[in-house]
Amino acid sequence: MSSADAHARWEGSTSKLGERSEYKRIWNRQAQDYDTAALAVAGHTDEATLDLTARGTVDMLRATVGIEPTDLILEIGCGIGRVAGRLSQECLHWFGADISGAMLGHAAGRLKARPNITLVELSTVGLGEFPDDSLDLVYCTVVFMHLLEWDRYRYVQEAYRVLRPGGRAYFDNVPLDTEHGWSVFTASARYPFARRPAHISMTSTREELRTYLAKAGFDAARIHDLANGFIAATGTKPVAPAGPDGSSAEPAV
Amino acid sequence: MNPAEELAEVKRREAEFRLKTVQEFLAFGARDREQRRQIDALNDELGERNSYIHRLHGEREDFVRREQAAFADVEAFTHLLATAEAEAAAARAELARLRAPRGWRRWFASKSAAARDPAALPAGDGPAPAASFVAVPAGDFIYYLHTPPFRLYRAASFTLRGWALPRDARPVTGVRVRIGGREFIGETGLEEPGVLAQHGPQPANPRPGFSVTFATPPGRHHLSLEAQLDHRDWLAVLTTPIWCQVPPSP
Repeated sequence: MSSADAHARWEGSTSKLGERSEYKRIWNRQAQDYDTAALAVAGHTDEATLDLTARGTVDMLRATVGIEPTDLILEIGCGIGRVAGRLSQECLHWFGADISGAMLGHAAGRLKARPNITLVELSTVGLGEFPDDSLDLVYCTVVFMHLLEWDRYRYVQEAYRVLRPGGRAYFDNVPLDTEHGWSVFTASARYPFARRPAHISMTSTREELRTYLAKAGFDAARIHDLANGFIAATGTKPVAPAGPDGSSAEPAV
Repeated sequence: MNPAEELAEVKRREAEFRLKTVQEFLAFGARDREQRRQIDALNDELGERNSYIHRLHGEREDFVRREQAAFADVEAFTHLLATAEAEAAAARAELARLRAPRGWRRWFASKSAAARDPAALPAGDGPAPAASFVAVPAGDFIYYLHTPPFRLYRAASFTLRGWALPRDARPVTGVRVRIGGREFIGETGLEEPGVLAQHGPQPANPRPGFSVTFATPPGRHHLSLEAQLDHRDWLAVLTTPIWCQVPPSP
């Protein structure tokens, strides 16, 4: 299939903005074949470029939240498993969760040789399939731009729940206040009203991400400026239980 | 093993334990979701079957209504036919009287006989010769006959099955058919669950079904289906002329 064909098919697979909340249907529709799925989640289809961007993501994780060989890691919105091939080599086990079963089908095809990988289809927004206090690192990359704000916060809350005390969280998005972020914002703004697709990128502000992490209960929330023009919010689930003085480690919501 | 290596080993074993826990949780969740999916599918199937059964019940009730309407039509047409035949017989008799000399004497004699026994039907081509037939009063019943009597009888006997409910709610304590001067006692108290479902509980007649077998000798007869109420009065449920042919030779 030519690249032009793949682009045409992808554009034909997109949904309208008003359907943005119907994540499962929207992303299953954009995963009708591997090339369409790769374009939808990564913007390109060749394995070499996918691997290059995966290395970049692993480097960002290593630099911001660290990666331990004993880590149980969960990626929220793993799509076709772009990052998993690289990251699974550096941890004990990698879990890939996505609301689109069709995307996970492509991921399973790409990652079948990896022994320490588990793919989990999410039934809805949230991580209800995972137990409390069980994982070391939860990250979510190049996903928040496709979510409504309430759903972004829902995943932050759920990450807090499934992380063990001391576990780390990472969420990134395109920021509004950088040159790259502003270009994404204005490009989206130029779309004619009637043609805005459901998956259209929406930026975050630093304060938005910082607030999500703080309200969810994370300690040491930080905002990192990344080399790719994104910002990342990171935090740690407190080890100490809630105290009677209000300086609690429990979620504020 | 130095303390750092020991700590790393503990961390590894703890992580492996958590991994096992997570995987068991995921497997349990997957099984749970599959069971829920199967339960949902079975519930959907059950709902569809219930809808189908409900539709069949509706169709059955519709068929029963149409069958009863057809039954009533046949009954009405049979009576119209009997009336028309009686009128034709009377016209033929009148014609014969006018053609025959002194015909008026015989006409007068037959009129006198009819006046003495109103239940007696005209002879000859008339519906039924039944000199011994004494009519009982007609009762007010809701009834239905599973084996309608409006037919040409070709066998030596016939079994009339059906149900009857007196509108005054008295108990039916007997049922009989009178035909050709003979009386045939039937069986009452037969189950009719569909009737109770349609008309509600019947304390006086919880089993309103009946069955009567009667002989059908060749010729024309007057059939009277009668019910006894509360061990006292016999009332006619239905009276109709019938036609019986000679049974075919074996």
